[in-house]
Amino acid sequence: MAAVMVSSAGGLLAMLNEPQPSLKHHALSHLNNLVDRFWPEISTSVPIIESLYEDEEFDLHQRQLAALLVSKVFYYLGELNDSLSYALGAGPQFDVSEDTDYVHTLLAKAIDEYASLRSKAVESNDMVDIDPRLEAIVERMLEKCITDGKYQQAMGIAIECRRLDKLEEAITKSDNVQGTLAYCINVSHSFVNRREYRHEVLTLLVKVYQQLPSLDYLSICQCLMFLDEPQAVASILEKLLRSESKDDALLALQIAFDLVENEHQAFLLSVRDRLPAPKTRPVETVRAVEITDAPNENPSGDVQMADGAPAPAPAPTPTIVHETDPVDATYAERLTKIKGILSGETSIQLTLQFLYSHNKSDLLILKTIKQSVEMRNSVCHSATIYANAIMHAGTTVDTFLRENLDWLSRATNWAKFSATAGLGVIHRGHLQQGRSLMAPYLPQGGAGGGGSPYSEGGALYALGLIHANHGEGIKQFLRDSLRSTNVEVIQHGACLGLGLSALGTADEEIYDDVKSVLYTDSAVAGEAAGISMGLLLVGTQTEKASEMLAYAHETQHEKIIRGLALGIALTVYGREEGADTLIEQMTRDQDPIIRYGGMYALALAYSGTANNKAIRQLLHFAVSDVSDDVRRTAVLALGFVLYSDPEQTPRIVSLLSESYNPHVRYGAALAVGISCAGTGLSEAISLLEPLTSDVVDFVRQGALIAMAMVMVQISEASDSRVGTFRRQLEKIILDKHEDTMSKMGAILASGILDAGGRNVTIRLLSKTKHDKVTAVIGLAVFSQFWYWYPLIYFISLAFSPTAFIGLNYDLKVPKFEFMSHAKPSLFEYPKPTTVPTANTAAKLPTAVLSTSVKAKARAKKDAEQKANAEKASGAEKSVNESGSGKGKDSAEKEGDSMQIDSTVPVEKKAAEPEPAFEILVNPARVVPAQEKYIKLLEDSRYVPVKLAPSGFVLLKDLREHEPEVLSLTDAPTSTASAATGAAAAATQGTTASAMAVDDEPQPPQAFEYAT
Amino acid sequence: MDPQLTEVSQQLERFKAAFVRKDYSTCSDLLSRLKVLLTKFTSLPPLFENTPNAAQELTLARDIYEHAVVLSVKTEDQDAFERDFFQLKPYYVDARNRLPPSPQENLILGLNLLRLLVQNRIAEFHTELELLSSATLDNPCIKHAVELEQSFMEGAYNRVLSARQTAPDATYVYFMDLLAKTIRDEIAGCSEKAYDYVSISDAKQMLLFSSDQELLTYVNEEHPEWEVKEGFVVFQKAKETAPCKEIPSLQLINQTLSYARELERIV
Repeated sequence: MAAVMVSSAGGLLAMLNEPQPSLKHHALSHLNNLVDRFWPEISTSVPIIESLYEDEEFDLHQRQLAALLVSKVFYYLGELNDSLSYALGAGPQFDVSEDTDYVHTLLAKAIDEYASLRSKAVESNDMVDIDPRLEAIVERMLEKCITDGKYQQAMGIAIECRRLDKLEEAITKSDNVQGTLAYCINVSHSFVNRREYRHEVLTLLVKVYQQLPSLDYLSICQCLMFLDEPQAVASILEKLLRSESKDDALLALQIAFDLVENEHQAFLLSVRDRLPAPKTRPVETVRAVEITDAPNENPSGDVQMADGAPAPAPAPTPTIVHETDPVDATYAERLTKIKGILSGETSIQLTLQFLYSHNKSDLLILKTIKQSVEMRNSVCHSATIYANAIMHAGTTVDTFLRENLDWLSRATNWAKFSATAGLGVIHRGHLQQGRSLMAPYLPQGGAGGGGSPYSEGGALYALGLIHANHGEGIKQFLRDSLRSTNVEVIQHGACLGLGLSALGTADEEIYDDVKSVLYTDSAVAGEAAGISMGLLLVGTQTEKASEMLAYAHETQHEKIIRGLALGIALTVYGREEGADTLIEQMTRDQDPIIRYGGMYALALAYSGTANNKAIRQLLHFAVSDVSDDVRRTAVLALGFVLYSDPEQTPRIVSLLSESYNPHVRYGAALAVGISCAGTGLSEAISLLEPLTSDVVDFVRQGALIAMAMVMVQISEASDSRVGTFRRQLEKIILDKHEDTMSKMGAILASGILDAGGRNVTIRLLSKTKHDKVTAVIGLAVFSQFWYWYPLIYFISLAFSPTAFIGLNYDLKVPKFEFMSHAKPSLFEYPKPTTVPTANTAAKLPTAVLSTSVKAKARAKKDAEQKANAEKASGAEKSVNESGSGKGKDSAEKEGDSMQIDSTVPVEKKAAEPEPAFEILVNPARVVPAQEKYIKLLEDSRYVPVKLAPSGFVLLKDLREHEPEVLSLTDAPTSTASAATGAAAAATQGTTASAMAVDDEPQPPQAFEYAT
Repeated sequence: MDPQLTEVSQQLERFKAAFVRKDYSTCSDLLSRLKVLLTKFTSLPPLFENTPNAAQELTLARDIYEHAVVLSVKTEDQDAFERDFFQLKPYYVDARNRLPPSPQENLILGLNLLRLLVQNRIAEFHTELELLSSATLDNPCIKHAVELEQSFMEGAYNRVLSARQTAPDATYVYFMDLLAKTIRDEIAGCSEKAYDYVSISDAKQMLLFSSDQELLTYVNEEHPEWEVKEGFVVFQKAKETAPCKEIPSLQLINQTLSYARELERIV
């Protein structure tokens, strides 16, 4: 029989007023059980219960019971703060493990409270007393999580509450330490907002990593890089390099490649410089120790001595190895390799080879653009040049320019500047040949050069672009050029070039040179100087920023102020809270241009952090500032803050994209473009689509560019809107009545869409989720093109090749096959356009047409004997049907179609079901969306050191004694560079030789047939 | 028989004896001991466990609390009355289907109603009333209280006072005395609002006093702010009229302007 329930707690409440303590206790304990039902009734008596809790004469247990009761009532009343404070008073009566809403809610509240107290204590640096009872509850909770095996929760709480001791405990006690650590790194990047604290967490993680039995050097080095500890990385690398095992050396090389991917130039250089050179003496002592301590290592050393003895003498690093030391032989050899990698040269060279050999850019698109833009319209003319440069960024293919020298010569003044600078984008990364390539345009020895200052300035800028972030070799030359001129156009180019090549190095001498240019107070040169100073000091947060700010207040030239404002913003890159004072100072300034710089400072200081405070501030400025420029930039800056979480951006800016203010709409478009670049995110495309047909021309321009950034490398098969967009671009470019602004946007967009020979994407995060400094800076400066078109080229800094490049021990690219487990059409290159430009029809039919042309040719050949006038492809089916009576004929027909299949196997679309996978050959294009489908073949000769679907991966050779087949050799680049080295002549012949290497069916020829 | 039960019933017998002797201090001692003993019984509210002696224990407990209520009336302790009544109530309400109805029930309910009336807690009075069945309402004890309340509300104060004679039980007398005072307070409150001053004789009549002396004592004790001079009772009416609320014009203007400005800025 079910127990009869009481209908009211009145009786028990009345009992609380009884004089006897035992009665009160009786009432309290019963009320505690009934509180869930009768809290409304009890709530009126809370004062009585509270007084019981405060009554010192009561025994402790009873008081705690009273506290628990009050806490529960407050919980039901929604007064969580009061509830929590009484729950703390309840001490052990408050059972953490109880599975009720009350306990869950209060625990969450307690942890929140504790976390906020802890972080307040740390941030304000003064002692905030934390209720020991609160701490006890949180600790009880943490221990419970750990004992229950819920390590991730425990780690989350520990990180939130800044309890690194508990974090360590949780990690070390977990059953899968490696996994937990990886999770923890991930968490610390995405959820720990404060920079210093993240450092603490990472330091701890490194400590834990080092205690592990099996060291995960890749992860440790990633952490160390974030912590900016080159010495530690260098010592790890050294240890691996000195190791006997070849695998360790491979691992070291892999680490180096991973570090390079994060583009932290200053860090890489210091790691490189700290790697000890294999001098004789120190090594001898080491060897002596080895002999005494570990005699069994000696023989292997001797073997190596025998092998390596003759080698070191002509070793490729004569500066390092002078005395022959056998043990050092392998080390020296490996050291050379790793230094090459760390300096970025190896990866740049390989990238260059890849981009060159896989270049799939479609010259016909450019030709279409060229023909459709009016000659007199210089904006569109130079936009076409920009588009060409972007399309061929890093491929070294400058065919288009060479074929159209006449047309090109129409560029004058600044257009000439950017046309020359465009060569820098095309040859980006061509470190060895860069200087000689640009030689014809460079200022000739001293002041009396014959060339136009515009092309000279452009050439210096181009050198900067070629050597962006790897400017060791070129800095001196650029400095000399800067000092030896006082033409402001050349100064402009030289400043930008210096800034690019010495990105983030904070080189004092260069800084002084650039500063002296700034103080000449010439508008054009000063602007570049401002930006250049920022580039030099990226992320250093120096005192120099205030110096720059002071000058910005002093000067009259808006251009200089703008350059400086951006420069100041660059100096605080990634400093998060550290930059707050400066940001505050800038955003409160009278001058809208400085406020505008403040927006960039916010964007860059908090780039990729999705920091709520920064977002709030930016949104505030986006709607409240009086200057349109500032508002536009504030919205745009949201893109930078949110790029680590691209799904967020469309949602946050969606309202702003419907603003009445066109500047805000423009900003919204670019914000989406920046943060969702290369993702092809559906929401982003839906948001941009209406903006591409906005009423205001510059909004259309921004939207088109942003759309291109989002869609870069997305194939039509994965999102049909890509095709629509391509057609839209074509239409805008061909439309005579379209505004210049949006036309320019469309031209640039078609450049970005096919950037880098269709082999690069825009990526702001490296694969390990670190920010890519160069890329972020590149986009930030790129977004300045609103004021200064030549800055468009900065977008090339954000391009990263989408390739899987496997390397063997010798850093050569061996033949290695792997599988992409997805339909090839999902990720294939867009089909080359082949239609005459007059025809605005879609590209889909063009593919069919190209088939049919070839089919026709084949069919004619066969038909000669039969004298049968057959129609090809389109008519094939009808012929088949009508000719069913004539067996002979139809049989012939079948054979015919078979032949067609064999001649054009790539384009036999829909003829048979598409295979579900394709085999890719190293090096291969692997677009970001494709990465998850990449699988290794099982019986492969090589095994990657690190499981990564793209980027540089070192391969372990399982069959070392067989001869290797190399698939990518130096040959193409050397011929190309030879060809382009003689560039000044610019003959058609070089074009042919450059094109000949490409095995792509040549679209221009097909075009000629058709006309 | 359960030893505890025996102990409780023995104690109760002693309590009853003391009660008859009107030895109220002994009674309270015994009562509090009884209450502590009662907490040991799990069959009592709020647990209502089905122990073998449940019915007996419940009856016993109810008996104790009924006595406690009556005792509190005797000792003229209203707080104790309220406390004990609330503890008794579950026996009437929740244990209705486990126990035979108590003969004392209506009496005690009536007393409670009366208490609420005396304390001028009219809302609670009606709440209690709603909980009673229509049959109970006909009971003389309840009916008495209900009629009193009606007269009280009508302002037929003389009827209330005369009802003292028709009280259904001796225990009611205590409350009836208190009720007279409640009524007087009520009248005093009304006069204060209605008049600036009244003559002493009128005041005496209105406040149902038989002599001037009584009136003066009452005024001194309950309303020291009243003045008695020249044969009049002067009520110190609250002089200050409630200030008419000022329109916060400046604030409104500011708000409106800022709205207009914000509208300009709206995205």
